[in-house]
Amino acid sequence: MDRQEIIADIVEILKTVRTIDPEKLNNITEETDFIADLNTPSTEMINIAAKVEQKFDIEFEDDDIDDLGSKVKDIVNLIIATKEKA
Amino acid sequence: MQNALKKVAVVGMAGVFPTCTDLNDFRDKLFANKSLIREWDKATIHGKNIRSTVAGFVTEDEMDLEIVPSSIMENYPETYIDKLDRISANNLATADVGSIWAMLSCLDAIKMAGWTDKETQSEETGVVIGSGGAGHEILRAAWHNFFELKKKSRLAGSHNVDRAMVYRDAANVSCLIKNRGVCESIGSACATGLGNIGYAYRLIKFGLQDRVIAGGVEGTSFETFLGFDSMQVLSKGFSPDKSSRPFDVNRNGFVCAFGGGVVALEDYDLAKARGAKILAVVDEYFNNSDGDGDMFAPSFSGQQRLWKGLLKNTSKKPDVVKVHGTSTPAGDAIELLSVVDALGDNGYHISAPKSQFGHMLGAAGAVEFIASVLMLENQTVLPCLNSDELNENPEGFQQNENWAGPKTPLASFRDLIPQQSLKKEINTVTCLNYGFGGTNSAIMISKDN
Repeated sequence: MDRQEIIADIVEILKTVRTIDPEKLNNITEETDFIADLNTPSTEMINIAAKVEQKFDIEFEDDDIDDLGSKVKDIVNLIIATKEKA
Repeated sequence: MQNALKKVAVVGMAGVFPTCTDLNDFRDKLFANKSLIREWDKATIHGKNIRSTVAGFVTEDEMDLEIVPSSIMENYPETYIDKLDRISANNLATADVGSIWAMLSCLDAIKMAGWTDKETQSEETGVVIGSGGAGHEILRAAWHNFFELKKKSRLAGSHNVDRAMVYRDAANVSCLIKNRGVCESIGSACATGLGNIGYAYRLIKFGLQDRVIAGGVEGTSFETFLGFDSMQVLSKGFSPDKSSRPFDVNRNGFVCAFGGGVVALEDYDLAKARGAKILAVVDEYFNNSDGDGDMFAPSFSGQQRLWKGLLKNTSKKPDVVKVHGTSTPAGDAIELLSVVDALGDNGYHISAPKSQFGHMLGAAGAVEFIASVLMLENQTVLPCLNSDELNENPEGFQQNENWAGPKTPLASFRDLIPQQSLKKEINTVTCLNYGFGGTNSAIMISKDN
């Protein structure tokens, strides 16, 4: 699964988060910041992480979630790293 | 320096009422002697495991709301969609269904009050709204997934606390309207709705706030219903419209109901100065406790002291007493006798709106306060439906040698209790509500003269 495919799946998840404006999901890149660019309430990050775990059939370590950055590339990196560990 | 005491006006009101589209529909149905109680499919599907199957409930669809089910957790509402776009997704994210009702009602109450955004968002505007129950629907699913299904805690996500905390209704309303004054909830079981309005009245009376959004909400929750069903205190054996029958000799329990009532209270002088329509004036609020160590039983002496406190600083007498009148065997008899003890046996009428919409628990006092303002506006006493037959014999406790109240049977007070709406001149209404723990609340409201 390449990084672009992962981003496409993340966008599908973000579409289900009703506090994110769908208009903002048209031009998502690795550098897009959930909080600064998408105005995602910071409290939604844990909900997004949990949905990512389900979609990619992986389980993040608690510490990894604690240290997770707010850019798309951060969660892409974590997905890949977690899959490699599995 | 002690502030001069302020007069307090009711300038707005709104709510969520079973089977009703809005306040006008509620008004029309109440004065047409309609019952808002229905058979509840959420109860009937449990067959013989449940005792009562009638309720005054409100569905998401009836409120133009839609549940967004969680994709990662069973039976968990991830959030709600407001099909009419009244509330933003950010505000909906932090709200259980009761808090959404509180927000919707608040918007309507402020619209009726005519407050500007500047007034609403000032430091002089407070929010005081409470609920009787916790966010049971949210907690139940979250706990089930963790404890029974052994899922990770994070699946419940970040809105488990804000949607279930005790003062979620006030918090959500405050975040919606962005007031800068008080934001709190008073909790006093089935007196919660009136307790919050009473507290709001005091905040204005003592000069601590200029205006307050106040009330009580009880979001539809089968879990809440279940708690009372397990206590065997819910009405059983009657058709839905006959189930709530305060004072009737055959009453056997209350009808659990859900809904919400929110009122806008304001410093009377400020309201008058801006030309606001004054729906009612709050004359006095008083509350106390039974002090007998009994969690559940109504207390005649507690209610005697309640009336004494309420009437202490006024020469007014109510034209209508809006009773708590739950339709429970013990509560109604004590309450009727305490009213008669305080006011005598003539010169006023008793209204028991729970006979029409059931017992809304933490919302009851607020919704019944609104029903009382409607009585003032319509100059009509709301009925006590189904009070078909009053006990011709003295209650057992009336025959106790220590009983200090009226000794005549309830039937001798028949003329006080209309079974249909009754037109008459109404200048003043007293509202009574009580709650588990022996808490008693009373408020007196009048027409603006």
